[in-house]
Amino acid sequence: MRKASKSFLWASMLLMVLSTIALFFYVRWLLEQEVEEELFSAEARIESALSAGQHPSSLAPIIEINEVDELKTPFTKDTVIYDPSQDEMELFRELSTYKRINNKSYKISVRVLVVETNQILWAIILSYIVIIFLVFVFQFYLNKSSNKKIWNPFFHNLEQMKKFSLLSKEPIQLLDSEILEFSELNKEIALLTGKVRDDYENLKQYTEDVSHELQTPLAIIQAKIENIINDQTVTEVQFNQLASIQKDIQRLTQLNKRLALLTKLENHQFTHRANIDITDLIAQIISNFNEISTISLTFEKASNIMANIDPYLAEILCNNIISNAIKHSSHRKPINIEAKDMVLSVYNYGPTPIVNPQYLFTRFYRENKEFKSTGLGLAIVKKICELYGYEITYAYINEHHCFSIDFGSTKSTRKLSS
Amino acid sequence: MYYFFWMKLLIAEDEISLQQSIVTYLERDGNVCECASNYEEAIYKVSLYDYDVIILDVNLVTGSGLEVLKQLKKEKKKAGVIIISANNSLNDKLEGLDLGADDYITKPFHLAELNSRIKAVLRRGKFGGDENIVFNEIRVDTGAKSAYVLDKPLTLTRKEYDLLLFFITNKNRILSKEIIAEHLWGDNSDLADNFDFIYVHINNLRKKLTSEGAKYIKTAYGSGYKFTEE
Repeated sequence: MRKASKSFLWASMLLMVLSTIALFFYVRWLLEQEVEEELFSAEARIESALSAGQHPSSLAPIIEINEVDELKTPFTKDTVIYDPSQDEMELFRELSTYKRINNKSYKISVRVLVVETNQILWAIILSYIVIIFLVFVFQFYLNKSSNKKIWNPFFHNLEQMKKFSLLSKEPIQLLDSEILEFSELNKEIALLTGKVRDDYENLKQYTEDVSHELQTPLAIIQAKIENIINDQTVTEVQFNQLASIQKDIQRLTQLNKRLALLTKLENHQFTHRANIDITDLIAQIISNFNEISTISLTFEKASNIMANIDPYLAEILCNNIISNAIKHSSHRKPINIEAKDMVLSVYNYGPTPIVNPQYLFTRFYRENKEFKSTGLGLAIVKKICELYGYEITYAYINEHHCFSIDFGSTKSTRKLSS
Repeated sequence: MYYFFWMKLLIAEDEISLQQSIVTYLERDGNVCECASNYEEAIYKVSLYDYDVIILDVNLVTGSGLEVLKQLKKEKKKAGVIIISANNSLNDKLEGLDLGADDYITKPFHLAELNSRIKAVLRRGKFGGDENIVFNEIRVDTGAKSAYVLDKPLTLTRKEYDLLLFFITNKNRILSKEIIAEHLWGDNSDLADNFDFIYVHINNLRKKLTSEGAKYIKTAYGSGYKFTEE
């Protein structure tokens, strides 16, 4: 709209200048014609008076009649003469003709004060400029206010669209407009946002339902396996197969739980926040892992890390990043954890760097297929970091994989985009 | 003293398959199990009879298990309540516990795990958590979290103590490595499995018990375990 009014402004300015110039030349030409005509008619009148034998008296500087010896070609010119009535030098337009009337040669000079015509010219031009300027200014403001009225719903709706979030349950509030195009646009926006929201809700519901509905059949399978094992009629081979099924059920359960967690994270369903001492949490998790794993975990705490985060998510975040290191620590080498300047770093030994570090945080990406992991641990870590604006980085330093989480970098919480 | 007296249980679960599996498992100990397959039946049985422990599915086909729980608390029944839910959300868990449930377990679960939770709920309800569980010469003091063989204290780590309690509450049952790992380490059990770390704990416990003459931890089918005097 601003661009439209700007181009309107420039066009009218140009038009104004051009029309003024054209008017100036046209009016000047008209006035000159008028003066010329006046001069010629005055001269003709004097001539006829002379031929009728009358001798009109000279009326300097307007009319001068002189007898001359020879005839010259008539001419017109501008001349500056002293005007006694005005008592100053004035510009005149002069027509001098030489006529032979009744055997006498006359030089008839007729003059018209040009100042007057000049004044008329300027008066016309000036009033034209004033009128056109006023019209223009008036129109500009009229346009602007009417534009504002017309575009107001559009800008309002634009704001609404910018604020549109899939999370709010409210339908988008659009101002109606009398302009057909705008109301059509509104209709389409309402339709589109409604559909996007419906699809999103469906997807969300679907994920929740699936994870929910899977739990009961899994529970039944698991319970039945346990009863079969305890019936004491199975062979060792059968037992091992049943135990293996149990393991797979556990994997499925884990997968299900993590997918549900990811969905919840994406739906921003964690709103609780508390100040958590991450270093304390890490120490606690390390002592838990020490009970499970023979890999040694060392913790260097240069400074405490405090974070304002959902306690449940804080635990998952720290747990996942350490368990990832344990899972992928080659040759049972120790895992080093460092807390320094709000950055938590976890190092684990690996003889070769990761082939596709760009996929590290992608769901179901496994660098090494032999690990039977869910492939969601790091995706969850990434999501939690995104949620709170923490920066997570991976680096391969001195034969060690290093994951760092910067709890100090709290970029504004991202909008729902992915 | 032989502490594994039989209990009267109500299993309110609308999935008949699961319900019957739970009944089968729990009745092995001589417990009496009654079933409710829908909301109305659960409400009816809860108001009519007394139970030691009620196992309550949150989503009963015709109504909410939480409503049954409310009813139970309104009538000031003393039964211990374990909620079963297919929903893994923390809010549901907190809501259930706020309403007075004693424990909360998410589907899918191991029956051995459910059994050990039932016993824990019962201990808390009847003895304020302070109870001695006795199995022949072994005595486990759940208040002090310590174990004795013929009144001689055993030096057990936290996990070994948990393991012993789990074995005793599920005695005479075959426990696979998976069940034990999940009981001890929950969501992190897959890590333990990677290194067969579970063997270390079981072998340590077995050695400590065997050195005192209590040889009850038996290997079953090569990779499973059974706590039994046979």
